[in-house]
Amino acid sequence: MKAEVHTALCWARVLFKTIIIISIFGAAISSRLFSVIRFESIIHEFDPWFNFRATKYLVSHSFYEFLNWFDDRTWYPLGRVTGGTLYPGLMTTSAVIWHGLRNIGLPVDIRNVCVLFAPAFAGFTALATYEFTREIKDANAGLLAAGFMAIVPGYISRSVAGSYDNEAIAITLLMLTFMFWIKAMKTGSILHSTFAALFYFYMVSAWGGYVFITNLIPLHVFILILMGRYHSRLYSAYTTWYTIGTIASMQIPFVGFLPIRSNDHMAALGVFGLVQLVGLGNYIKGNVSSKRFKVVLILSLVVIIVVGVSGLFAITFLGYIAPWTGRFYSLWDTNYAKIHIPIIASVSEHQPTAWPAFFFDNQFLIWLFPAGVFLLFLDLKDEHVFVITYSVLCSYFAGVMVRLMLTLTPIICVSAAYALSKLFDVYLDFSELWSTTGAADVLTPSDPQAAGTAEKRPPSKISANVSAAATSSSSSSSSRNGFLMVITKLLVSGTFLFYLWLFVYHCTWVTSTAYSSPSVVLPSRNPDGSPAVIDDFREAYYWLRMNTDEDAKIASWWDYGYQIGGMADRTTLVDNNTWNNTHIAIVGKAMATSQDKAYHLLRAHDVDYVLVIFGGVLGFSGDDLNKFLWMVRISEGIWPDEIKEREYFSAAGDYRMDASASSTMKNSLMYKLSYYRFPELFDGQQGFDRVRSQTITVDDIGTLDYFEEAFTSENWMVRIFKLKSPDHLGRNLHDVAKLNMEQSLGVKKRLVKKPVLDLRV
Amino acid sequence: MLKLFFINLLCIVLWAHALPVHGVKTLLLYDSKITDLNEYSKLFATLQKRSYKIEFVAIDDSNDQFKLYDGEKRLYDNLILFPTKSRTISSNFDVSTLLNFSEDGGDVLTITSPGGLNDAVRIYLNQLGIYPSPRDSKLVDYFQKGASDVISISTSEVLNRNVFSEPSMELVYSGSSALLGNGELLVPILAAPRTSFNTNNKGDRWTVGSQGYLIAGFQSLNNARTVWIGSDSFLKDDVFNSNGLFIEDLIKWNFREKAVIKSVGFSHSHSNGISYDEHPYKVRDSIVYEVGFSEWNGSDWVPFITDDVQFELRMIDPYYRLTLNASRQTKDIQYYTTGEFKLPDHHGVFTFLTDYRRSGLSYVTEKDVKAIRHLANDEYPRSYKITNAWVYLSSIFSVIFLFSMFLLVYMNAPITENVGVEKKNN
Repeated sequence: MKAEVHTALCWARVLFKTIIIISIFGAAISSRLFSVIRFESIIHEFDPWFNFRATKYLVSHSFYEFLNWFDDRTWYPLGRVTGGTLYPGLMTTSAVIWHGLRNIGLPVDIRNVCVLFAPAFAGFTALATYEFTREIKDANAGLLAAGFMAIVPGYISRSVAGSYDNEAIAITLLMLTFMFWIKAMKTGSILHSTFAALFYFYMVSAWGGYVFITNLIPLHVFILILMGRYHSRLYSAYTTWYTIGTIASMQIPFVGFLPIRSNDHMAALGVFGLVQLVGLGNYIKGNVSSKRFKVVLILSLVVIIVVGVSGLFAITFLGYIAPWTGRFYSLWDTNYAKIHIPIIASVSEHQPTAWPAFFFDNQFLIWLFPAGVFLLFLDLKDEHVFVITYSVLCSYFAGVMVRLMLTLTPIICVSAAYALSKLFDVYLDFSELWSTTGAADVLTPSDPQAAGTAEKRPPSKISANVSAAATSSSSSSSSRNGFLMVITKLLVSGTFLFYLWLFVYHCTWVTSTAYSSPSVVLPSRNPDGSPAVIDDFREAYYWLRMNTDEDAKIASWWDYGYQIGGMADRTTLVDNNTWNNTHIAIVGKAMATSQDKAYHLLRAHDVDYVLVIFGGVLGFSGDDLNKFLWMVRISEGIWPDEIKEREYFSAAGDYRMDASASSTMKNSLMYKLSYYRFPELFDGQQGFDRVRSQTITVDDIGTLDYFEEAFTSENWMVRIFKLKSPDHLGRNLHDVAKLNMEQSLGVKKRLVKKPVLDLRV
Repeated sequence: MLKLFFINLLCIVLWAHALPVHGVKTLLLYDSKITDLNEYSKLFATLQKRSYKIEFVAIDDSNDQFKLYDGEKRLYDNLILFPTKSRTISSNFDVSTLLNFSEDGGDVLTITSPGGLNDAVRIYLNQLGIYPSPRDSKLVDYFQKGASDVISISTSEVLNRNVFSEPSMELVYSGSSALLGNGELLVPILAAPRTSFNTNNKGDRWTVGSQGYLIAGFQSLNNARTVWIGSDSFLKDDVFNSNGLFIEDLIKWNFREKAVIKSVGFSHSHSNGISYDEHPYKVRDSIVYEVGFSEWNGSDWVPFITDDVQFELRMIDPYYRLTLNASRQTKDIQYYTTGEFKLPDHHGVFTFLTDYRRSGLSYVTEKDVKAIRHLANDEYPRSYKITNAWVYLSSIFSVIFLFSMFLLVYMNAPITENVGVEKKNN
């Protein structure tokens, strides 16, 4: 009889768990669909447009062609070896999904596959987080963590529908790799370790952030060794993971020989060596006396450290190992990039995180997170060391770079779930109310859920204390104390349930207001308060697509390269890939110099159109004039004697656009293109720039002789200018414009003066 | 079919009459106050013999009776401007008319004289980089025999062989001179003698010595040509015996009867004949580039023979600059080829460019932008074909071999009892 009840309860548990997980899937997907419902099924932002374009290429060509894709429509005239410089995991996955759906008779548009890719994988991330946390604590904590992971804004920010970016799949793979690593490390199973390596390979193929795994797992192993927790299980897990993972990762063309040549990967190699030595040491330790072993240990340690460190220095110096990359340095010194590599500093997602962002992205998890880490310290098992290491490292990284908040989020969810589930283990346990025999039965496994957990873990301190209190109280006034206990439990768990409810509320609110805008289409309001959509970007890109030659070359700042490639299908000079700093500096220089120099520079690159983003009419602050100083800085890095940042500031040292702006600023191409005909919107003499709150007069802008306006979007956000064709009489276009002006004004020069000419030889 | 027939017929008709490559309709504007057309009968006779249809318009009395354009349509192919006494030609004719006409491909012959230089022509010439001396100043040379303002100069002094290359003869010139800018499109034709200078009665010098020019040409980027002659008496009947041959050639050049070349297209392919479309180029491919040139000899397109055609393979900077060799020849085309050459070991989007610009000849630019891709993953030599890799290959196989040997030995070795080492020490 009892056994039957037990099995029924087990089945009920499985059923409940399945329902919960399915609901988590539902929550994860549906909360990411705001953007599709509000706007439409559209690819967001910048990088996703490239991924989308590459995916389209992959589904219309073979994988072989994709792998060897030479893209002659970007980075003109250098071209880009796209197949060899991208992480193909994302595109390949969606191509497989697309083909799979076609084969079962569901011909879905590739765009929809791409748009809904991130939400679908967010569900899998939640599942992986569940498995991961189950390894750390138990299924209860796992379900909580999965629930958190499904809706936490820190993750949603990069995985709403349409956000078709590498991170969309990478976080899933990150959690899967870690989950298998924890399993492998606990059991020493080669199978799990191999799975970890395979998912690591998948991760390498999908995101450059794989380096995080490459360093975190060795660090975990290293710390365990330092703690004296070396075990043969660790040895087999790590060596298997490292060898298979490294060899597999080298199959990705973009990674190539980096795992054995770049400093970023040296930690993993070093720990691989260390594990061998420790394994050997352990073996020797078992065979010689402890006194001799000490000598051996000290000697070998000294030799290893000296040889290792000097060797690393030597081969780095000789150039066999690539030195640390700039992005790596900027992780440690937040000012490094600003001084040395403006191109990295200019990216907004590489900026340090503002403190409120932590609460904004994680709400109450952010204060449960340290509590969880503390509780993990109390109960320091090998896998807990992993979570602690991960938390400490990523807390730092997330503080340095906004985008790394994404990698911190999973571990926040896990730690917070750990803390909360510990709390709920005690305070949500009302099983004694049912037990008639009193407090002595509190710890007996009457509740199957408690039984399941009790088997797995030794009783923690808290529950031990509680049970001790419970047993002592039972003897005297059990009913009164029991009542108090119920009240306490209700109060505490009620509070936290309220927090949970608030969390869900917050997540939904943040997702719908902050993270669901495609940024290609901007939401706004009409004067009467009704919602409106500012669609200037697409308007301009479609104009380009429809009205320009198929092989026209468009020069714009690199931010818009991927969008021009994806939406307008025109050749660009630079794009968001930013692989060639000099080429970007060329565009920066063209924007920063006077129009005649810019004209010749752009013509040398066969440019037909120049595209600038201007927010002065609308008050859109992310426009090119606000990015202009980065263009100046980047080109100054290459041509320090031609472009000088100081010259772009007013005499008082301000960054101004109005009459007090410096002449270099007013003569720069960017200034002229942005403000060309701007005052005509107002009274024709002066216009008011709503972004910079400054008045721009006609005299500031001057004439535009070398370019002609080809297109200006509805709200003036996108302005496209065409390079005039060179004068057929070989005059410079400034003189042509001057002559035309004089002709139209009827200026007559009666007096014939002898021209000043160079000697003709 | 019928259409084709008519086109052929049209071609034949054109071929029978037209000598210049672009057209024969000519408008001549003159000022009857200072120009008597009868004095130029020999000049017009040679032009009409070469089937030019000249419309003479005097600008003084019939001010608005001529039109260069009918709406957007250009009515004349050539324009001859004689000197005018007034500063303006007419209300609807100014410098922009001339600029537009030239931009549309019309050829202009401007003749000015110390007594006749109107503003439109002067500003137009200034735009080209020709600065004729102002009114009332003329070229003199006191080192000459005879009158100081009649200059005799030999055609051996002609600066451009594409304009005139006949044996030398004496020319008689009297009129203005001009300063020239340093523009690359200018074609200086006849410089003033070293001992001459240009002065007015106030003593201002405009040009001195050979920095002054008597006749200058200009060819714009669309191959329209303009010639300036600083003297109307240079063309008159009384000196036509000495100047005639030169003038004829000068006008032939001006109205594109000679020194006109064209490209009949280019082609490039793999050296084994496979085209780019079938098989795009990759780095270090061996390819052949060929371009054909024809020259207009006044009645036919004939092969254009030269030895200085160059081909460039550019990606911003030239990676190759090859002088082309003459290869096959057809009735009307001379082909030039690079021969087989290897593409650079650098992928990118390259421009296949022939930019043939010689002073006095029509400009020819042939441009093709093509991508040269990198090697695909399976186009590198296999590892076993590289001798240096044998070291690594043998180490791989020896490790595999030794590891399997070790496994064999390990699995077949007798098991000895080995108590848990770690347990003992921890």
